Amino acid sequence: MATVLEPDRTRPAFLVCDGNEAAAWAVALSRVDMVAVYPITPQSSLVEYLAKLVADGDLPAEIVDAEGEHSVLSVLQGAALAGARTYTATCGPGLAFMFEPYMRQPGLRLPMVMSIVTRDTLTPQSVWGGHQDAMSVREVGWIQMYCETVQEVMDTIIMGYRIAEHRDVMLPVNVCHDGNYLSFGATRVDLPAQAEVDAFLGVPNINWHAALDPSRPMAVDPLTGGAGGPGPRTFVKYRKGHCAGMQKALSVITDVHAEWARRIGRVHAPLVECYRMDGAEVALVTIGSMTGAAKDAVDEARDRGVRVGLVKVKTYRPFPVRAVVDALTGVRAVGVVDRSVSFGWDCGPLYQDVAGALGHAGLPLPSMSFIGGLAGADLTPGHFGGVIERVAQLARDGQQGSTVWLNEKD
Amino acid sequence: MTGAYSTIAFDAARCDGCNACMVSCAQAKAGSDEVADSRIQIVAGDGAFELAMCRQCGDPRCEANCPAAALVKNEDSGVVDWDGSKCVDCLLCTVGCAYGGIVRNARAGHVVKCDLCDGDPACVKACAPGALRYVTTARIYNEVGQLEDLFVPGLSGCQGCNTELIMRHALRRIGPDTVLATPPGCIPGMGSVGYNGLTGTKVPVFHPLLTNTASMLAGIKRRYNRLGREVNAVALAGDGGASDVGFQSLSGAAERGEQILFICVDNEGYMNTGMQRSSCTPYGAWTSTTPVGEHGRGKTQDAKNLPVLMMMHNCAYVATASTAFMEDLYAKLDRAIAASKRGFAYLHIYSPCTTGWRFPSQDNITVARMAVETNFVLLWEFDPEAGLQLTHPVDAPRPVRDYLEAQGKYRHLSPEQVAHIEAGIDRQAAFIARLAQAGGAPPARPSFA
Amino acid sequence: MIRHADYLIIGSSHAALAALHTLRMHDSEGAVTMVTRDASLPYSPTVLPYVVSGRSQPERVFLRDDAYFRAQKVDYLSGIEVERVAADRNVVRLANGDEIGYKALLVATGAQPVVPPIPGLGGVRYHVLRTLDDAVALRAAAAGARRAVVLGAGLIGMHAAENLAHAGADVAIVERLPHVLPGYFDADAAAMIGRAFAAGGVRLFTGREALSIAPGESGEPGCSVVLDGGETLPCDLLVVGVGVAPVTGLLQGSGVAVDRGVLVDDSMRSSVANIFAAGDVAQARGFYDGVKTLNGILPDAVEQGRIAGMAMAGDPGIKPYPGGVPLNTYTFFGQHAVSVGTHGEGIPGAETFTTVDASAARYLKIVLRDDRLLGIFGINAAFDPGVMWELILRRVDLAPVRERFLDAPQDAARVLMSRTWR
Repeated sequence: MATVLEPDRTRPAFLVCDGNEAAAWAVALSRVDMVAVYPITPQSSLVEYLAKLVADGDLPAEIVDAEGEHSVLSVLQGAALAGARTYTATCGPGLAFMFEPYMRQPGLRLPMVMSIVTRDTLTPQSVWGGHQDAMSVREVGWIQMYCETVQEVMDTIIMGYRIAEHRDVMLPVNVCHDGNYLSFGATRVDLPAQAEVDAFLGVPNINWHAALDPSRPMAVDPLTGGAGGPGPRTFVKYRKGHCAGMQKALSVITDVHAEWARRIGRVHAPLVECYRMDGAEVALVTIGSMTGAAKDAVDEARDRGVRVGLVKVKTYRPFPVRAVVDALTGVRAVGVVDRSVSFGWDCGPLYQDVAGALGHAGLPLPSMSFIGGLAGADLTPGHFGGVIERVAQLARDGQQGSTVWLNEKD
Repeated sequence: MTGAYSTIAFDAARCDGCNACMVSCAQAKAGSDEVADSRIQIVAGDGAFELAMCRQCGDPRCEANCPAAALVKNEDSGVVDWDGSKCVDCLLCTVGCAYGGIVRNARAGHVVKCDLCDGDPACVKACAPGALRYVTTARIYNEVGQLEDLFVPGLSGCQGCNTELIMRHALRRIGPDTVLATPPGCIPGMGSVGYNGLTGTKVPVFHPLLTNTASMLAGIKRRYNRLGREVNAVALAGDGGASDVGFQSLSGAAERGEQILFICVDNEGYMNTGMQRSSCTPYGAWTSTTPVGEHGRGKTQDAKNLPVLMMMHNCAYVATASTAFMEDLYAKLDRAIAASKRGFAYLHIYSPCTTGWRFPSQDNITVARMAVETNFVLLWEFDPEAGLQLTHPVDAPRPVRDYLEAQGKYRHLSPEQVAHIEAGIDRQAAFIARLAQAGGAPPARPSFA
Repeated sequence: MIRHADYLIIGSSHAALAALHTLRMHDSEGAVTMVTRDASLPYSPTVLPYVVSGRSQPERVFLRDDAYFRAQKVDYLSGIEVERVAADRNVVRLANGDEIGYKALLVATGAQPVVPPIPGLGGVRYHVLRTLDDAVALRAAAAGARRAVVLGAGLIGMHAAENLAHAGADVAIVERLPHVLPGYFDADAAAMIGRAFAAGGVRLFTGREALSIAPGESGEPGCSVVLDGGETLPCDLLVVGVGVAPVTGLLQGSGVAVDRGVLVDDSMRSSVANIFAAGDVAQARGFYDGVKTLNGILPDAVEQGRIAGMAMAGDPGIKPYPGGVPLNTYTFFGQHAVSVGTHGEGIPGAETFTTVDASAARYLKIVLRDDRLLGIFGINAAFDPGVMWELILRRVDLAPVRERFLDAPQDAARVLMSRTWR
């Protein structure tokens, strides 16, 4: 456990800890009723911290040591249908194994928060960070938010419950933090006071719409659809409602971040963060922990007189189309840096979304896809310096090159 | 309407014509040794013995025919009571009885009939070969009959479906304070969870995935335990979802001692989705994925013995049951419900499938019974204190051919395949007998030395 | 005053009660009214001879009690006569002027004694036996009777004669037909029964007619019966039991087709779709010849009543009436006689097998055709009449067991029963 620098009676005011431990403390602060755990690198220490918090009485929750990720989420789905606020974390192969109940969770409109301690997917065999796992499930219907810092991991998990349980949303939230870089990178983290979190989150009401409770018997998820009778329209009603929940989440996320700032005093950009975008002619678009190094590179380039700025995407699903377009309006070229791959398009998935948003908005900017940081590889300010150079050139000549693999020659 | 009643059942195949029943009846009822004075009459047919005695009809014609109100169906005992102080000896009751069950007795000078000896029939006690049994199953139906059927009428099971029988009986007994999981298969397939917003069950019910029934129930149960609410977490699952793709979650929940009642309805395959093979499908059986053709001769592997596997988890309770033995099934259901309040309870019910096994729909219970009488399946129960115990040992099993020939899915079997099955039955019986002899819980880390 | 019933049942004996039972099995809620001219709870006419003999106490013969009718939600209106049925309006009119509307009506009014047109009968006191009051009156009269004459050797007459003999009276029976219990037993059996009566001190005048009846001397009770042979039978108690006739007067002008009784089809439906009849009042198809006939016996009344109740309630489980089979049981002077089916008169190919053991007073007659049972009759013979009835109705092939059946019909029939419909 981390060193407690300034203990109060119930909780430390701040810790020096890594992202996995910060996540566990956020779970405790959120007064989660049930956690289910199964270890997998680089998430393992997170569930160890959860178990320790439960064992020490800091997290008065039911903990289920399930026999695999598939059951982890299944246990929690059952508990949520019985009204529990739930949490777990996984990554990579664990997420793949969990996929069957994972695919079902948003359709049941069951709010929860699950951390994806992002890891690159097999194969090649690998145990290190990369966004490929989370990106592979981007179309399943969960809300996905990517964190830049350990503090943001803690704050976003807590905010995640507020967002997930919002009546207009009622969807599960993945809070993604980078394997290795955030999971194991320790920094100072401030803990909000429990009373503040309690007031912020309120009393959960998880299963008002779909319950497995003998005091209000109902069938949960009867067979729906087919080609006849009420099937087609009933199915459409559910699917469309799910899409509406995702879209409503954009404003809810914004409001929740604003309230967090008001109550707790820490500001995090809800959808996208604009960094030194004033007068920027070229822009980098980043996601996750790489953003720190990218910001350093932007600073350095600005010092050299390059008019570059950065747009960090925090909320990736639902994709904040308007916010991305607004942020990029006025630049002459865009470079999008992904930590994962869209195999179908030979580019990064974030690039695909950004290009799509710009096209959708009638803003045909020259843009290029950069892929780096796969399987634990480092993305340094040097890498981003190169990206800035390439995008600046693109701004000059408009010649879009093919996807650049940043660690190709490392 | 009145309830069901205990009754004397006669199995002609077991009767050896010894007349002990008649002698004991005559002694008990007439103080006589003359079989003519017996109210049960065994008649020799050609090579078999037949029975004439009062059936204690539900709607007795003897009573309707009595002009003197001397015969009355007793609503408590079910016996058609005869009141000698009212009888006028007109014999019209004997016209109403098509069973030779009420007959003028010369010695008595009036009609006599069976009165079940106040629930302790002398004839049954005297019957050494076991041809006469006093069947008290009615007790169950009377008790359960008072309970609400927690499924709606009109579930669309196949004609003669045994699974629907199991569902309705089990849930009535378990009661309304229940969350019911019915993973994909026949059980939700017949409409228990419902379609497009309509449900077929009166308790909270859901489709888990085929794979995660035990896990979802674990979450539900733990949640309610934490809230201090007593809620039964119950699965009605098929053998495919339990033994194949759902086995991991089942095993995990059992190992953790989750307080669940998991009922596996074993119809030996994926019957709902078209009768495909599961790991519970027996050797030699035709299924749509173990077809019979020039090369194929049905399934080439033996069935996984799922209840034994569950026993090895040292669950709070494990049992096998059959709808042909409802008293046994109910006793186990009661114990399983009780056990599920302290740990994992697993009930494996063998459930013949008229559609998938290919036999006439009216023969379901007959086939279920034969499975037990041939030792094809064994009825036992286990708890960690008492260990495994056979609840219906069959020492002289019927030839398994009777069972195999009753089903179309075994029609193609070669003599070698039948021999394989026969050998398997003997091995299984010996194996279970050894477990029964060993007693107690399986060792935490079994030694195979 | 008009009341309405979904089901209206006129009569309260076996046919009526059986109909009530089966209709309630199918329709537990429909409004049922049962109206009967008897002022008491339901009883069976068949029990009346035993009330006369004292074997049955009048207060213990009732077939149902008030609690039963309450539980079945039945309005039981006793002591009320139905005057007429207005089928066009679906109402019945009661003697007191009230009306009861119905959706379905069952006429189960039974039969009433026939009074023969014997000169002088109207001028003397005599007894019939159809109601409980009749039975109580006859029992009282029998106690003081020294000499009694019974007109008619049917079941009513024979029972009455035996009871009077037991009571110490000098009894004579007069029967127009050649032997006692015509219709149920043949001459041999009747003779055997007759011998028992003779041994019991009863004089039998069979094949004889009562020509006239003369009143007794003035101031003396009783009368004298003058027979066709010229004998005069003086008596202080006269019982008339020459037969019964269906009670159909209430149907006059209703449009319901009546022959000797109410003509019904195999679901006991009359010629008017929502009017049914069952029991002694009904004239239904005979099993052997298909001709509609009166079959005034208790087991058939039950069968017809059951079918009528199911038909009225629309019970889809209804099975058509198999046709009436004559059958009866009779106990006399400690002996018992049973008849099931037909003697086979006029049926081509009927084979009859009769065993008479006069010394043991045992008689057995079996009638077969094509190895199917047509009838079986016995005195002091052991067989199960209900099983035999079923063998007849099912036309069970006896060929494989023919010899055994003829030799030991009870055992052979029980084996067949156990294998065929147990």
